[in-house]
Amino acid sequence: MSVNPFDLKTVVLAKHAQHVVLIHFPIALFMVAVAFDFLAQWAKNRSLAAAAYFNLLLAAGFTVPVVATGLAAWQWALEGQKLKGILLMHLVLGCISAVVIWVVFLIHLRARRHPGNSLPTYRLSLEAVAVLLVGVTAHLGGFLSGVNGPG
Amino acid sequence: MRRVVSTAVLFAATFGVAFAGLRAGAGSLPAAAQQKPDATEVKIDNFSFGPAELKVPVGTTVTWTNHDDIPHTAVSTDKTFKSKVLDTDEKFSFTFSKPGTYEYFCSIHPKMTGRVVVQ
Repeated sequence: MSVNPFDLKTVVLAKHAQHVVLIHFPIALFMVAVAFDFLAQWAKNRSLAAAAYFNLLLAAGFTVPVVATGLAAWQWALEGQKLKGILLMHLVLGCISAVVIWVVFLIHLRARRHPGNSLPTYRLSLEAVAVLLVGVTAHLGGFLSGVNGPG
Repeated sequence: MRRVVSTAVLFAATFGVAFAGLRAGAGSLPAAAQQKPDATEVKIDNFSFGPAELKVPVGTTVTWTNHDDIPHTAVSTDKTFKSKVLDTDEKFSFTFSKPGTYEYFCSIHPKMTGRVVVQ
């Protein structure tokens, strides 16, 4: 019953390995997108703004399989039993984070589709809150996955 | 005065020897008498089941207790038993009525494995 996360069979067949692997992509993409957006705002640089947009696009896209595999892990590994404590907090914060990432992306998408519209400044506050949410959710996820445990 | 001192030294020496004998006597107790038989308890701590292998007679009830800050489960690979998610200090018990080897793992952390051998 030994599980190797770098073994292809494990990655494909283990009941919640996919979530643990995929989750790193939207986290990294979103954090980088927010960093680029803040830099773009500060430096008034269109290239950085474009980089922020495309990172956000990918981050939002990745939330779909990540949420799906997270819910699948809940159903398969824990057979959908009622969650509580850290697991429940991770689920709720994860869902909220995914929604906020999409809201941030849609704000950028809207501004991009209507070149006359500039990006609203309040998005920066929203992005900062989203980074905090994603960070807390990721911390709980790391805690749950036992990355600090032995072996 | 000299007599009092020598009596005190003799008393201390006698007491010391007696105390050492007591300790040595305790050390020579049979191992089974020293070890508290607590074979039906599996402790979940630091992302591991302890003991990892447990040998019990048929009819024994084994209790898993989660001492970790992280939720864990105990699920047998053949689905003979399956705990709910155990938060800190929560317990799960199962009575083994058939002999055999029961491999189990934590479904949240599949690297955590254990075995109950029912004889």
